Amino acid sequence: MSGVARAPSVDAAPAPFPYDGPAALRQPIIDALEQVVDPEVALNIVDVGLVYGVSVDATRLHVRLTMTSAACPVVDVIIDDVERELDRVLPAGLRIEVELVWEPAWTAERMSEGAKRFMGW
Amino acid sequence: MATPQRVRPAARRAPSRPALAVALRALSIAAVAASLLSGIAGGLLRVGVVLPSTDDAPWLAQAGMQHAALMICGFLGTVIGIERAVAVKRRLAFAAPLASALGGVCLLLGRVGPGARLMLLAALVFVAVNGVVVARQRAAHTWLLLVAALAWLCGCALFALQGGQGDAVAAALPWWFAFLVITIAAERLEMTRLMRRGPAMQALLGGVLLLMLAGAAWSTWLSAWSPAVGGLLFGASLSLLAAWLAVFDIARRTVFARGLSRYMAVCLLGGYTWLAVAGAAWAGSAYGLPLRDAALHALGLGFIVSMMMGHAPVILPAVARVKLQFGALFYLPLLILHGSLALRLGAGLADVAMRAVGAVGNAAAIAAFVLTVIGAAFVWQFHHGASRAAEVIR
Repeated sequence: MSGVARAPSVDAAPAPFPYDGPAALRQPIIDALEQVVDPEVALNIVDVGLVYGVSVDATRLHVRLTMTSAACPVVDVIIDDVERELDRVLPAGLRIEVELVWEPAWTAERMSEGAKRFMGW
Repeated sequence: MATPQRVRPAARRAPSRPALAVALRALSIAAVAASLLSGIAGGLLRVGVVLPSTDDAPWLAQAGMQHAALMICGFLGTVIGIERAVAVKRRLAFAAPLASALGGVCLLLGRVGPGARLMLLAALVFVAVNGVVVARQRAAHTWLLLVAALAWLCGCALFALQGGQGDAVAAALPWWFAFLVITIAAERLEMTRLMRRGPAMQALLGGVLLLMLAGAAWSTWLSAWSPAVGGLLFGASLSLLAAWLAVFDIARRTVFARGLSRYMAVCLLGGYTWLAVAGAAWAGSAYGLPLRDAALHALGLGFIVSMMMGHAPVILPAVARVKLQFGALFYLPLLILHGSLALRLGAGLADVAMRAVGAVGNAAAIAAFVLTVIGAAFVWQFHHGASRAAEVIR
């Protein structure tokens, strides 16, 4: 193992989603998830508010992710992209688990300020 | 000490592919291609253009007669059926696209009755699949997807009742187009959730789509009473929908993004323009103006195919597991499509020869798009295959 100590995140800016794991991994994980873009809306999944939370322990990283629609055919593509981007920044040996959740349902309130500005709020 | 292996969910999720599934998949792809290619050949035949080496092919006359059924049910219905089946992740859901794909082949072989019944079966299964979607997420856009499926069912029932012969296509057309247009409207409504929405927006869309269904219903059941009203209602609803999309759709915002997002928005906004034209032409045609070709193709090609060209780069990776490298070249088929359509509906209105030239351009646009997609898949493989190899070497 890479020996990353598990510690609560104490950085200045709050994470855009609940994060429970080593502080050292927090920003790389956020950056990686921000690489996953839904081209239809020209926004990344963090800004749209699709990431419900990330937790990291000694053996695994668990992402809770939602979609805006149950009829969305690109779910698997987005999940693949999430896995690929996380794979690039995480220490080897950490298992990546992406869980698709529908509760609570996504609402536009979850969007970042930047995303809302882009959409003309 | 050996580095522990990372266990990635993708590896665990990788589906095993039994031989039957692979065979059905290959069969579906071949059948979709048959519907698309023969549908295009049939469309060209209708404007008097016979492709080389097809002039005495027995399927060509069928393709000419069943052009709309091949394009809407055999091709688009199958593609949408696959897209929805992928989303609900139920194996049985693939029965819908399988049936519509085979239905297209039957039509080509001159087995019109069985072909029409297969389309009906496809629509029935598709309604059930959309019922599953609604059960999973009760939202305005999922209900609309179900309404769209019911419109397809209604069109296919009319088509099958008349055995696919005579005026069967004309009877089914408003319903088939309602299926496609309401499907698109539902998906665009879902996207508006990212914008600040007033309460009137959803109600307005509901009103417009009710008008569309009323127009289709009038055309089907009340045309003996007053033949023009159905076409007028249907056409008005198309133009009103174009206005709704122009005001509320996110494409107005995403056109200011870059790359693929901007390209998709350009496809959408171009499509909305043709939707408005289609509405006016549909209503005019109902009052006896020679605008039927314009109405059907502004809608089918200008709106729906333009929309399809915009979404293929994101849908294909999802349904066919093929990744595409987006590039500026994607704009070329789009340009050919809209340019040739302008020719067909402009100069082609008075001049049959120009209409044929425009139609050839329409077909060329779709061919250029298919080539662009194939090229984009190779370019992606080239780039990412190379980077993966580099990772392994490192």
